[in-house]
Amino acid sequence: MSVKEELLKRLSDGVVNMEEDDVAEAAQEYLEAGYPAFDGIMKGLIDGMNRAGQLYEEEEYFVTDVLLCSDAMYAGLDVLRPCLPDEEDKAKRKGVIGVVEGDTHDIGKNLVKIMMETAGFDMIDLGRDVPLQKFVDTAREEGAELICMSTLMTTTMGGMETVIHLLEENGLRDKVKVMIGGGPISQRYADKIGADGYSQNAVEAVKLAKRLLDIA
Amino acid sequence: MLTPKERLKMIMEGKTADRPACICPGGMMNMVTADLMREADVYLPEAHTDARKMAELAKAVYERDCFENYGVPFCMTVEAESMGAGIDMGSDIYEPHVVRYVTDSVSRFSALSPIDVSKGRARVVLDAIRILKEETEDVPIVGNLTGPISTAGSLMEPVIFYKELRKKNREAHAYMEFITEQLIRFGRAQIDAGADVIAISDPSGTGEILGPKYFKEFVVMYINKLLDGLQAEKMGTIVHICGQMSPVYREVDELHSSVLSFDSVVPMKEAREHLKERVLMGNVSTYVLEFGSPERVGSLTKSCVKNGSDIISPACGLGMKSPLVNIQAVLSSLKEA
Repeated sequence: MSVKEELLKRLSDGVVNMEEDDVAEAAQEYLEAGYPAFDGIMKGLIDGMNRAGQLYEEEEYFVTDVLLCSDAMYAGLDVLRPCLPDEEDKAKRKGVIGVVEGDTHDIGKNLVKIMMETAGFDMIDLGRDVPLQKFVDTAREEGAELICMSTLMTTTMGGMETVIHLLEENGLRDKVKVMIGGGPISQRYADKIGADGYSQNAVEAVKLAKRLLDIA
Repeated sequence: MLTPKERLKMIMEGKTADRPACICPGGMMNMVTADLMREADVYLPEAHTDARKMAELAKAVYERDCFENYGVPFCMTVEAESMGAGIDMGSDIYEPHVVRYVTDSVSRFSALSPIDVSKGRARVVLDAIRILKEETEDVPIVGNLTGPISTAGSLMEPVIFYKELRKKNREAHAYMEFITEQLIRFGRAQIDAGADVIAISDPSGTGEILGPKYFKEFVVMYINKLLDGLQAEKMGTIVHICGQMSPVYREVDELHSSVLSFDSVVPMKEAREHLKERVLMGNVSTYVLEFGSPERVGSLTKSCVKNGSDIISPACGLGMKSPLVNIQAVLSSLKEA
């Protein structure tokens, strides 16, 4: 194994093993050795995060594990990202993500955001308890192609339908794909309110987003 | 003919009654809907802060043939507010929720206030229970508590909290000890005021979020501590956990409650297979209750009974727009059968 491969493995393993400090250190060493930041991100950090996602799908890892893995990934990104050539960040597809008005449960939303970013999307995070019009306004201002909404409560799920109506009223419905998820949400509900898709977890959300936007 | 209280008591003790009980505890398991508020002419958010209104709305749930219990409060923010969190009281369609945390880390739990049950909304809940106790009989009064993990995650940013369970394990336990003590105090006061049953909902403490190891170390540990800290003078206790149970059936079976309740992602049949000796409650889909027909609710209710549920209840809090006829269909289909 070359030094570069060893460092990439250390970055990837560090993410899987939730070792935030070691990942930051390995990223520093990787840069100092003169290797390209882009490979460090893709073949090191993102590779590790994908492995963590795989473990999550297999129920070896749980939500708290994935959150700690993502901390390690972001620690590495903080080091490597400033050294990326400018053009690498341009082609990213944009999405707006948030928890709908009335609800503050955002663990699932955070997880989806992490996996979407891992997959190369540029996610604009509106946070939680997001006023419904804000999803629409942000999508327009940012030229986003995706709106991802979640809620954990039956009392607030109606807001998702409102956002779809607002998109129609604002003439944006055909420019933006709408994905929804969360505890009480189902494919049936997505069909009922006219959302473009539903996904059960963060890994599925990435597959769905790629399918909706025709990304290989 | 058994009274609702006699029936629930028998079932909680593991005896066979004439039919399954039909309850909706309150707290996270909200049973108030827009239709019901209109019928009772009592409205949220006012009823969150006024004991008389809270009691009247709770009474309406039974009087309008929705469920065979009274339950208060109608949200899961009383405990966090009493410990210092800022709450937005919501509206007639949105539930109250936390808008300001008290601490940024488990290691700074000295920032939390102990719950004073003689003040604020804790007092409102206790007064409402006293009113129900004085003015009613034969119908069980359910006092609700937000579970330890969910309370903990309402007092600080939950993502940081979840991470610190691991990163600051010792401090996290001290933080949980403090919170559990406060919940015990509030729970004991509810029983003193006249609550027959204590229901604990801990939606943030799921097996899916924590995994089996941390579920046992934090959820089971502190819910049991809370249950064990309540006085013996009560009919029973209910614990509601959200999310899939498949990773944590063994751990869930260690909970010391009389009754276990799950949401609609858990097939009742599967729960019954894994928890043969337990009294189970659940789990009529709140989606169907809101968007389905009374007939569909009736057939779901019957399949819950068939699959082994002892106490029929909604799987989660009711959506505010759920039609009254759908809610009533749960109980009426049980009476028919």
